[in-house]
Amino acid sequence: MIEWLSAGLLIVGAFFFFAGTVGLLRFPDVYSRLHALAKADNLGLGCVLLALAIQADSLAAALKLLLIWPLVLAASAGIGFAIARRARALGIQPWQKEDAR
Amino acid sequence: MRKLRYGTMIRFLTIRASLFAGLWWILAEGRSDAWLFGCIAVVAATWASLWLWPAAPTPIRLAGVVGFLRFFIWNSIRGGFQVAGMALRGRAALQPALIVLPVNLQNDCARVLLINTLGLMPGTVGVDMDDAGVQLHVLDRRLPVATEAQALEAVISKLFGASS
Repeated sequence: MIEWLSAGLLIVGAFFFFAGTVGLLRFPDVYSRLHALAKADNLGLGCVLLALAIQADSLAAALKLLLIWPLVLAASAGIGFAIARRARALGIQPWQKEDAR
Repeated sequence: MRKLRYGTMIRFLTIRASLFAGLWWILAEGRSDAWLFGCIAVVAATWASLWLWPAAPTPIRLAGVVGFLRFFIWNSIRGGFQVAGMALRGRAALQPALIVLPVNLQNDCARVLLINTLGLMPGTVGVDMDDAGVQLHVLDRRLPVATEAQALEAVISKLFGASS
């Protein structure tokens, strides 16, 4: 039962990492790529860590895995903001749809 | 930190030392053979924390923490699904824009938490922040991002002890 739940969460996590990478490759500018990386990869990481934590040998080992999530979230949110702010300061304009310009 | 009463100081030290001890227990994966180093690390971490973050009554409310975590996890899931869907549809799904939103939070920590958290919530990434408000990049301007950002602001305001 736990193995199946864990495997399911791993697959869901892998899907979000895949979607985040697809977004990184397909989205048109630095701002929208940040959206894809920050949100999709963080949810993917959350799923993967949860999958590993429910299979862990002890409570402490499970908590250690889950502790990775807030640390990565804090780094990813802070770095995302820093990159977006720097891009703005350099005067990079956000991509617009042709017909909406 | 010098002005605090003795009893208050002891309480702060006990709380912080127990948190660091819990952290060590997690990092050591529950093993008990390294507690000598653990004790040294806990004392050093508590000492360092008094320099980096002087003991003072924190405005953070426990009920607010629960509310924030619930809001945050639910919206992380929504944000992940939304951006994954957009990534698979490609550029056609995007209608990006830069928007400016006013922010009423006064506490600096609360404002930093807001702009950073917005990058993980559905549809928004923080671009800049000044005294009046935040500048956001939104993936799709047709989405109700202003409403969602205000909901997040309300949750953070409760986290930092606002009454309403």
